Amino acid sequence: MTPNVHRAMPALVVALALGAISLGACGGFDITNTNQPTQTDLENNPTRSKLSAAATGIFAGARSDIAGFIWQVGSMGREGINLAGNNQPDYQEPYFGPLSSTQFGGSQWAGRYANIRSINVYLDAAPKAPDLTAEELAASQGFGKTVEALAFLYVIETRAKLGAPVDVNRSVTASPPPFVSEDSVYGFIVGLLDEAQTSLQAAGGTSFPFPTPPGFSGFDQPSTFLLFNRALKAKAEVLRATAGCGQPCFAAALATLPSTFISMDASALATGPQFDFSTASGDVSNELADPLDGTTFFADTFVIVHAQHQASSALDARVLAKTARATRVPTWSIPAVPLPGTLKYTIYFSGGQPNPNAPVPIIRNEELILLRAEAELGTGDRGGALTDINFIRTNSGRLPAISSGTWNGMSDADRIGELLYERWYSLMWEQGTRWIDARRYNLLNTIELGVPDGQVPQQMPVPQDECSARNLPTTCSPLGT
Amino acid sequence: MPTRLVRWVVIAALVAPATLVAQQRPIRGTVTNADNGQPVPGAVITVRLGGRGVAQAGDDGRFTIVVDPVPVRLLARAVGYAPAEVSVAVADSTVTIRLKSDPLLLDAVVVTGQATGIERRLATTSTSLVTGDRVNAVSAASVDKALQGKVAGADIQTNSGAPGGGAQIQIRGINTILGASDPLIVVDGVIYSNATVASGLYTVTGSGSAAGTGPQQDDADNRLADLNPADIASVEVLKSAAASSIYGSKAANGVIIITTKRGLGGKPKATISQRLGFSSLLRGPGMRVFDTTSAFDLYNSPEDSAVIRSLEVNGRLPVYDHLQEAAGNKPLSYETSLDVSGGNDNTQYFVSGGWSHQGGIINNTDAGRQSVRMNLDQRLNEKLKLSLSNSFTRTTTNRGMSNNDNSGAGITYALAYIPSFVPLKPVNGEYPQPAFTYQNANPLQTIALASNAETVNRFTGGATLTYQALQSGKNDLRLVGAAGADLFNQKNTVYAPPNLYFEATQQYPGVSTLGNADSRYVNWNLNAIDVFTPSGPSMSFTTSAGLQYEDRQLAQARSTAIGLLEGQSNIDQGAVFGQPFELNTREKTFAMYAQEQLQAFDERLLAEVGLRAERSSVFGNTNQYFIYPKISAAYRFPNLFGDGSDFKLRGAYGETGNQPLFGQKFTTLVGGVNIGGNVGTQVGSVAGAPNIEPERVKEFETGFDASPFHGRATLEFTWYVRHTTNLLLARTPPSSSGYSELITNGGELRNSGIEMTLGVAAVQQRDFSWTIHSTFARTRSLVQQLPGTGFSPPTAGFGLAFGEFFVEQGRPIDQIIGQTSINPDGSFNVTYMGHASPNFKWAIGNDFTYKRFFLTSLWDWQSGGVAQNQTLTLYDCNLLAPDNGTPAGMARANNCFDGIATPYVQSTSFLKLREVSLGYTLSDNLAQKFFGSSQVRVEVTGRNLLIFTNYWGYDPESSNYGQQAVTRNVDLGPYPPSRTFMFTITAGF
Repeated sequence: MTPNVHRAMPALVVALALGAISLGACGGFDITNTNQPTQTDLENNPTRSKLSAAATGIFAGARSDIAGFIWQVGSMGREGINLAGNNQPDYQEPYFGPLSSTQFGGSQWAGRYANIRSINVYLDAAPKAPDLTAEELAASQGFGKTVEALAFLYVIETRAKLGAPVDVNRSVTASPPPFVSEDSVYGFIVGLLDEAQTSLQAAGGTSFPFPTPPGFSGFDQPSTFLLFNRALKAKAEVLRATAGCGQPCFAAALATLPSTFISMDASALATGPQFDFSTASGDVSNELADPLDGTTFFADTFVIVHAQHQASSALDARVLAKTARATRVPTWSIPAVPLPGTLKYTIYFSGGQPNPNAPVPIIRNEELILLRAEAELGTGDRGGALTDINFIRTNSGRLPAISSGTWNGMSDADRIGELLYERWYSLMWEQGTRWIDARRYNLLNTIELGVPDGQVPQQMPVPQDECSARNLPTTCSPLGT
Repeated sequence: MPTRLVRWVVIAALVAPATLVAQQRPIRGTVTNADNGQPVPGAVITVRLGGRGVAQAGDDGRFTIVVDPVPVRLLARAVGYAPAEVSVAVADSTVTIRLKSDPLLLDAVVVTGQATGIERRLATTSTSLVTGDRVNAVSAASVDKALQGKVAGADIQTNSGAPGGGAQIQIRGINTILGASDPLIVVDGVIYSNATVASGLYTVTGSGSAAGTGPQQDDADNRLADLNPADIASVEVLKSAAASSIYGSKAANGVIIITTKRGLGGKPKATISQRLGFSSLLRGPGMRVFDTTSAFDLYNSPEDSAVIRSLEVNGRLPVYDHLQEAAGNKPLSYETSLDVSGGNDNTQYFVSGGWSHQGGIINNTDAGRQSVRMNLDQRLNEKLKLSLSNSFTRTTTNRGMSNNDNSGAGITYALAYIPSFVPLKPVNGEYPQPAFTYQNANPLQTIALASNAETVNRFTGGATLTYQALQSGKNDLRLVGAAGADLFNQKNTVYAPPNLYFEATQQYPGVSTLGNADSRYVNWNLNAIDVFTPSGPSMSFTTSAGLQYEDRQLAQARSTAIGLLEGQSNIDQGAVFGQPFELNTREKTFAMYAQEQLQAFDERLLAEVGLRAERSSVFGNTNQYFIYPKISAAYRFPNLFGDGSDFKLRGAYGETGNQPLFGQKFTTLVGGVNIGGNVGTQVGSVAGAPNIEPERVKEFETGFDASPFHGRATLEFTWYVRHTTNLLLARTPPSSSGYSELITNGGELRNSGIEMTLGVAAVQQRDFSWTIHSTFARTRSLVQQLPGTGFSPPTAGFGLAFGEFFVEQGRPIDQIIGQTSINPDGSFNVTYMGHASPNFKWAIGNDFTYKRFFLTSLWDWQSGGVAQNQTLTLYDCNLLAPDNGTPAGMARANNCFDGIATPYVQSTSFLKLREVSLGYTLSDNLAQKFFGSSQVRVEVTGRNLLIFTNYWGYDPESSNYGQQAVTRNVDLGPYPPSRTFMFTITAGF
């Protein structure tokens, strides 16, 4: 026999291929990702416990950018500065300008929309959960839409006339949603809050089917969460009023405020829901709790320059309570920035020590009273406004009350100035209030530059990724505003 | 047809056990060097015709082999010699075989398939083979570093100057943006993990988060560092897609096939090598020298003035060379290696041990490796042979603190903030807190007290069973099965004690991070190879087919404690525990292949075709097979340029792939989100691609191999063009979508280039020889098509004010763009500033021997290419660049403040003297007298001795983000580069 094994090779190949198919068929190639839950699982197989976890994530997501919001918007309004040293854009952009669409200037956007996506996934999944009652579903929807409205509020507060996209619950591969005007964004926010109100009311006496963080104690049932929802609506209406809507929106705010937790109780100025922070594993600590010898955040000394005096000639009690001298003067200071960096905020301190667990208020009674004062001014109720302002001046700032004679003798601009002073010092290093208010009332030119050749930004730009997704240049204004 | 199929299976089964019984006769012979008549020890003699014996020549070149009682042909092979074949008539019982030396490796065997190979001169694709001797000419921390400048078309770049590994290899340009960028590494048939597992240094430096860019900025080493270079017999680099397509969807970045040394049989032989030497700083930034006035200008508050006055010595500001203080060590390094090999006709063994220690020029940094290897070849019977390759390695590093830093931990980062008049050295054991520094840091204190340590234990084992199913005059059928496992465990500890100045001001001073990684790669393959020679040696067909399976797992975890008790570094000794991280990945791949290799017309016409089909768990559709074809051909003109010369024209087309990474097909929620004591989930930042497919590289290459002058010179020239389609892309969706990354397939990338390898045995005389090795490569890349708009790849850089990578259609894949001027309206003009890849790389090596002296050198020239020199931005923005007082220095500083990137995107052109070795081989008498040894060599070697470059600061080869496909050249506070000298004695017994 002269075997020709070469010609036998096809047989071997076939045999091996058969083996291969049998091996290939033995499965095991659908390896799942065991590291994280998947989004499709939440979307397609939601359960009470998965939705509960998602709700917790939404609470966490609502908080995620707040420290950045406070120091970034605060830097633009010269409330304080981040001198962390190597991240030049952190002080360079807000003080020297221009804001870039990728670094400092492009921030305070993506994180908010990420939470909006989380909320939309949650809202789409919740009706599919087999183990939620109709009331619990309504409670969940009221919660989701309220937090979504809050996210849009933060977005539009920094972008103002540039507008923002609101129709964002679409596939990530779909064409980008259109930008709508500042007024439309506020309209969308108010719409969400009103839908949420309907849902929260429909929830009746049921509890939320998820745990609420401690910062929401007092606002942790659908009926009490509604107080928070209405507070946001009042705020949105006031902000919308100065974005062109005017008196009707101020009136809407006044109509809403009684449904909030507003109270003329001097001991309840701090009442309101809060964002929690903690040093627990997986949690986020309050980075604004920078020690007196820390070298990151400093209060700008303009807070002292502008402070009014108490009858005792001491400074506004809010300045005394919220700031202290830095114990480590940064003699290492960055050569380009001549800021002395001598003052620190102590708002996030407890017992004289920085408290990384310190919560950050979302909206509190003191702000509601000032929102009412503003709406009253906007609707011509000077007297009501003075009552509210004096309440804050005397209780929060320990300042002498303004007499009605003085008040009525002031120009409109001065009355607004007085209102904005109270808002600044009451909400200092909590909300970026000074810059936002100055922009709302066209007073950005009253904010000090602080450094030679400095600039105070008009608004934060549209992030570059939004521009490039719409084939627009790096710095763009999709609405042409 | 089924009946025919059955018939062939039956025949195949019947012939397999057939054996021949024959009367036998011994032949005695000698193998000598054809040039000088000296015996060639260790040559292996096989019977080509008339038997199947194997023998090995002893130290005296003598051998005995048993053959059949017919006229026979014997083939002798030895390392560094061309093989030679002789006929022995029935009447003869002695023979002398003369081997010609082959310094250019024309006759070495290169890989053509999973279990097939071919002599290099017959290869149909371009080949790159580096012998172990060349790998080990000058001691290197890792194999990749040892290969720098030795392979045309392999761009090998070190990531930093830290001791130990940390280099990346890029073959034929950048072929991916998001996929794996490393070549596949195969060691003795075992798929070898070259993973880079981060140390967790980011938990101290705050360079980024665990999920973000933190881990990439840890200056971690890649695990090729575990392989002891002294064990390597040869390294082959498969560059062309036609050659690498045998590895299918993981071969787009090329394949590096490492073969370790094996025993040749015969009397036990031992080699001992001892190296001892030191390193020193190669280069780094200068310093700005101050007088009191200029110091007052820079630090202008009243407090500052008082501090400056207090630092004056005799009324003048002193000048301290902080870089020398930090990185001026001249640490000892040593390397001991021992190997023993031997055996008999049936059993051959190679056993080795290695112990190396590399000191770092920064105190308390070093790298070490202890390894043992046992390679065994056992003939079980006439037809069955088993080969085992096993190694165990322990690798340790202390890499210190480097790269991007937000906390004050980075050594060279902090130096960029400290003016030269500020003292850092300890006084009475106390480190002064510098008056002007970054985040309060005193880098000398950081060096003394902080640590970043790594220990890796690794076992790599493989077994190959070869069954000679049939060997007749016309057919030679082998069945080869191989299996291997590569397992390692890596432990990292990163520790910054609370009393460090930069820690002391944190909310919770002190950081300790413990990291663990567990890797398990398992692969096996089955192959059938038939060589059919229908009518004598003038024509042959090699047919092979087989299966391959691979399972890769990597589990990583990390945990951090902050607020540490003083003096305590365990992770349960802190106030707050956080940043937990765990990631488990697993990929399975299964492949089938078939391949045909043809030699015809007396080895003039050579051709190959092959096909591979693969499925993998990382593909969106795990049931789908992806097909990778290859076809190549070459035609040789032997003796075209005279006797002994050769000329070969070749062309090849092949396709390979690059697998998606684990997880790219999933859209995951971020779990473990905590607020108020509740744990929750959020939508992640990355939208996955459920239908993801592998990237595909289609490449055509053509070229010629010429070896004129009787084969005393070789020129290998290759031109190639490769298109990568179906790219894995992380597009940036509008962030209003809620996602920051969208994984997709799409786009097309083109790389083309030329490669030349020149070898000249210029002089081959008894007393003097001179051999030249030169490699040249240039690559051009172009993004031909991109869905949607351009995008910044992950880790693109630090903003357009300093230059950033940006992937854009119509541009080189690794272009850097930046703000280069300000428009009248105050906006920035953003323009193209260059590409990271060099225009060309050209290395020239010269080997001289004169009598018993030898001198080798290797120069490595890189031209073009740019890097983001972020280290310079630190010096400029802090007004501490050495030339700050000059107009040029001030202009750069102004650029920093204005946001102009122009000075910071710099050319990386350099000329480096990579390797020098000067040695002497002792005479046999001296060797015997002083060492009792048969051969002794003493030499002095140096690595990275000289660098010529206009690049500012440290090393133009730097990568803040470590192993990266695109975003490699980012220089930000790296570990400084060093030069190394070693004195070496090698003795053979």
